Parts: sequence; structure tokens; C-alpha cells
Amino acid sequence: MTRYLTQDEVIAALPRLTRPRLVAFIAAEVVLPLQSPSGPLFRDLDLARLDLLCDLADPFDLEGDTLALVIALIDQLHASRQQVRLIAAALAAEPAEVRARVGACLLVGNLGSET
Amino acid sequence: MSRDPYAVLGVAKAATAAQIKAAYRKLVRASHPDLNPDDASAESRFKAASAAYDLLKDPTTRARFDAGEIDASGAERPDRKFYRDYAESPGHPYQQARGFQGQGDPGDIFAEFLRQRGRDTATSGGEGFARGDFVARGPDLHFALEVPFLDAVRGAKTRITLPGGGNLEVRIPPGTAPGQILRLRGHGGPGFGGGPAGDALIEIAVRPHPLFRREGDDIVITLPITIDEAVLGGKVTTPTIKGPVSLTIPKGASSGRVLRLRGRGVPHPGGGAGDQRVELRIVLPHHIDPELQAFFETRRNTHPDDPRRTLFQGMPT
Repeated sequence: MTRYLTQDEVIAALPRLTRPRLVAFIAAEVVLPLQSPSGPLFRDLDLARLDLLCDLADPFDLEGDTLALVIALIDQLHASRQQVRLIAAALAAEPAEVRARVGACLLVGNLGSET
Repeated sequence: MSRDPYAVLGVAKAATAAQIKAAYRKLVRASHPDLNPDDASAESRFKAASAAYDLLKDPTTRARFDAGEIDASGAERPDRKFYRDYAESPGHPYQQARGFQGQGDPGDIFAEFLRQRGRDTATSGGEGFARGDFVARGPDLHFALEVPFLDAVRGAKTRITLPGGGNLEVRIPPGTAPGQILRLRGHGGPGFGGGPAGDALIEIAVRPHPLFRREGDDIVITLPITIDEAVLGGKVTTPTIKGPVSLTIPKGASSGRVLRLRGRGVPHPGGGAGDQRVELRIVLPHHIDPELQAFFETRRNTHPDDPRRTLFQGMPT
């Protein structure tokens, strides 16, 4: 069962997260809480993301668009890793001959018929 | 963490605040689990660096540490979860690339993967632009919607208000689970160069119900019954998600006994449904009248019983 935290609970859970900072993160759309009639609600995922945003904002003096840029790149990194892992898992289940052919392509950095 | 924070950050005891911050920045870049997601040892290194920096960034705590008033432990948060632990959960709202799921023909997945890449090079001013045929799909927009328990279970139609004004009808399919994401094709941001619009993605939050709980595809409810219903059995009426239903209590039902109403649970998308499980709970009358008391006093003398006796077998006395 997914658990949702209110704005007050999130601020209480993360010592580095002040209310103005949370408002700024939401305005910059670097965190997307669920909208509900009782106010914004946060998932565990949002909590971990807010922690990460604090990790970046404090030592690197990032805010607003710059912070949004960095977190967007991190999101792309995670998405790409997931795709690579899915491909690797699919290939690992293929016969040795297929794996050898694909491996040979990877070693020469060849994009195959696309180029 | 009780190592010397100066050693952890690799700075001299006399380092300035700026030097400490610069050293910490380097360590974050090299050890933050979300910047180094494939590095299994990153987490412990980052936690050590953060704890050291937390101690030294504040001149007051730094001075107290230097004077030996506090030690280097206690600054670390033990149970922290990192974003990378969630970042690959399916369909989460921050996902930047569309996954492989829902791309139709399995044989086309690799071609589509390469096409996505091809579009990206076109946006950087390559020949795609020069030929004037730059086309891209619009961005997906993320919405959240809290729905009442029964609407999520039975299905419903509702509307959400869009940020730019206007609203959108949303059909909640029967059996919608908390956290489920509904995709409304073509209701996201407009496409570029005549490309198709993105999708609207709506994450569903479910408001709990005072009576019903959901466990998988089953609906679970606790039903109060009287002592006479428990002893004698009989027909009672129980709420279900689709209205009251008659339920037969078997003779001699104890508290905690679970009765199953087949097909009265969460509907499946393709037809059929889970069950409703009714847990019985015997509720005594508010007032124990003399007649009831006298009956049980007699009963205790004539039919002594101890349902706990087997609990003590083989236990230390």
C-alpha cells in the first residue's frame, strides 16, 4: 500500500528541507506532489527525491532552473540505465551465438544497419 | 561514523570554510549514489562525507568538535533511502525516457530505440532541421487525482482541472489500485512541427474507506454479530461494495472466523472479481442484565471449558 505524506510531515521528516525551499522546489517543478483537496501529498519516492535535491542545492548552491537541469539529467541517467539493464537481461537469456554476435558489435561500437 | 571528519574530507585542520566546501563538493560528485548509480560502495562513502561535512560546515559545531566537546558520531542519518532505489519503478512521474513497455511489436523495439536517438540529434541543429522536417512528440504531463475508495474499486467518471484552465474527463476503470497510473493518450503537451501531442498521466491516490479495506483483489470487512447470532447462527445483512447482501452465519461461529462471499470483491478488468472476506466479531450487549448473568453462572458450573488449555502444553510453567 502506497503511503502519502502531507507537506508538514515531509518538512518534519527532512531536517534540511525548509518550507520556503519546498515551495520553491514545487514552483520549479523539480518535485511533482499529488494534488488533493487537502493539499499536496508526497510519496516515498518524492521524499527520497527531496533528499537528493537538498544534497545538490546545499553544497553546489543550485536553485531554480539550474537545479531543474541537473535533476533532469539524473532522471535521464536512471532511465538510460534501466533500458541498458533490460537489454542486457534479455540478451543474457539468448543463446551463446547471439550473445557473441551482439558482443562483437559492442566491441567495435557499431550501430549496425542504422549507419 | 567516528573517523576524523578532517581526514574523511581530506582537508587540513586549519582549512577555511571555502576549502571544506570545495572538498565536500568533489566527494559528492565522486560518491553520491544518484550521480554514481552503478557504484555499490558509493552510499557508504557519501554518508561518511556528508556526516563529516555536517559537522564542519557549521562554525559552532566545528569549534565544539575542535575543542573536544563533541565527537564525530551521531551526525549520520541511519535509515536514509536514496532516490536511485525508486528511480526505476515503473511509470513513476519523473521518468524522462519512455520505457520499452507498450511499444507494440517486439521486433520493432530496437528500431524505435534508434529512432528516439535520431530525433535527439535532429534537435541539436543537424540536417533534420535544415530539411525543415523536424517533428517531435509533445511532452507527457503528470497529474494526480485522489478518488474515494468505492470509486476506485467500482470504477467511476470524474474530471480533473488542468493547470492552464479547462478540465478533462477521466474514466477510472473498475479495480483501480492506489498508485496506478492512467494514461490519456494525446492529452499532454502539444507536439512540435506537427508531431503528435504527448499523453496525460494521472496517478491515482485512493482515499481510505471507514469500513472496507482492499487486500489484493479481495475486499475485507469486520462484521459485528451478537452472542445469540454466534451461538445459534442465522441470516444477517452485510455491506458489500455493491450494496447490502444477505450472509448466513454458521452455528457456533467464533470471533475472528472469516466467511467468504465469492465474487463480491474487486472486479477484474476482463470480467470476474475477487471475493469479499467477512471477519466476524462477537459484540456483547452494553448492559449485562441479571437474566444473562444468571444463565452464564449456571452454564459455567455445569459445562466448565477452557479454550486456553492447549496453549500451555510444552510451555515453561
